[in-house]
Amino acid sequence: MSEHESHEASHQVMAGMLALAAAGALDIQQQRRLEEHARECPACRREMEIWSGYSQGLRRLPQPPIPAQLMERTRTRLVQERAAAADRRWDELMLGALALFAWTVGLTFWFVARIVTGGELVVMGANLVRLGTWTAGSTVLVWMTAAVAAIALGRRRRELRRVL
Amino acid sequence: MILAAAMNPEAFSGAQDAIDRMRRGDPDAFAAMISRYQHRLYRYLLRLVREPAAADDLFQQTWLRVMEKIGRYDARRNFESWLFSVAHNLAIDSWRGRRGESLDDSKDSGEPPPGSRLQSVHPDALERLLDFERGAVLAACMHELPAIHREVLTLRFEEDMKLEEIAEVAGVPLSTVKSRLRRALEGLRAAMDARSPGSIGRKGA
Repeated sequence: MSEHESHEASHQVMAGMLALAAAGALDIQQQRRLEEHARECPACRREMEIWSGYSQGLRRLPQPPIPAQLMERTRTRLVQERAAAADRRWDELMLGALALFAWTVGLTFWFVARIVTGGELVVMGANLVRLGTWTAGSTVLVWMTAAVAAIALGRRRRELRRVL
Repeated sequence: MILAAAMNPEAFSGAQDAIDRMRRGDPDAFAAMISRYQHRLYRYLLRLVREPAAADDLFQQTWLRVMEKIGRYDARRNFESWLFSVAHNLAIDSWRGRRGESLDDSKDSGEPPPGSRLQSVHPDALERLLDFERGAVLAACMHELPAIHREVLTLRFEEDMKLEEIAEVAGVPLSTVKSRLRRALEGLRAAMDARSPGSIGRKGA
């Protein structure tokens, strides 16, 4: 490769780095090589000036106006979302607590029913005080009751918040 | 900007204190942080999505997501990078929701270029006008670039983020950030030359 060809190849490599140099995206060695090359190369020096103009222009772009009440609207949305999340947590907690309460009541009644009936209360061929039958029946009843109660309590709570 | 904050221990500890209070659900801390970042975050989103209404909605969604995820935020990470990455991900999701659009879509939205309505500050009136005109043309050309190129330009030049931080925000390797940056600048220059040849660099912009 002749000296001219070698210089041209080097020039092409350096010219390809000019845009990144304007963005401050070269490492120290690349930047130093580019600056050394530019000292000897008027075309690259000129290109560096042009890219520098772009860099400065991009740092001074006209700024967009902030929409009216953006901060206040964002704060309001955060407050609403926080309240909604608190309501969801409260509903879940209430559902769990009511289910537990209903299960406890169901189990207590099972003990009482077994004592009172002597362990046998047959209705339509099924012994209602058998553990399996009682559990299945009370589970359905417990979850339905707990869900209805949790929904009702949650609604009441939200209504109270609206009033306050 | 980031460097300035990093070199200012009071600003840094103030931000850290606000983050700690946000973790505890303090609404005043959220208000302080929204106020602190509102210009930068909104500008970033507007450059990215180009439509003020979409940027407005994404801005609010970003803070909702921050409130949801602040408990899992790793304090060793740069908060700004994390905040902008939350906004970036929401913008991506919003794009996915719209049929026929992608992040590298370069079609003009029909909206005026972001920031073309306000002047940058300059002491001399004539120079300010020229500066504004050049800035408006540059903003208009930037507006035509694909979103991934607009994003990398605004993060690098307006937000003054390091390349590593940009990579964190965009969720791409450092090499991709460099190649995007180079293509974005070359695309911007081509657009500027097509619009008004030699308008930058030769007139002392």
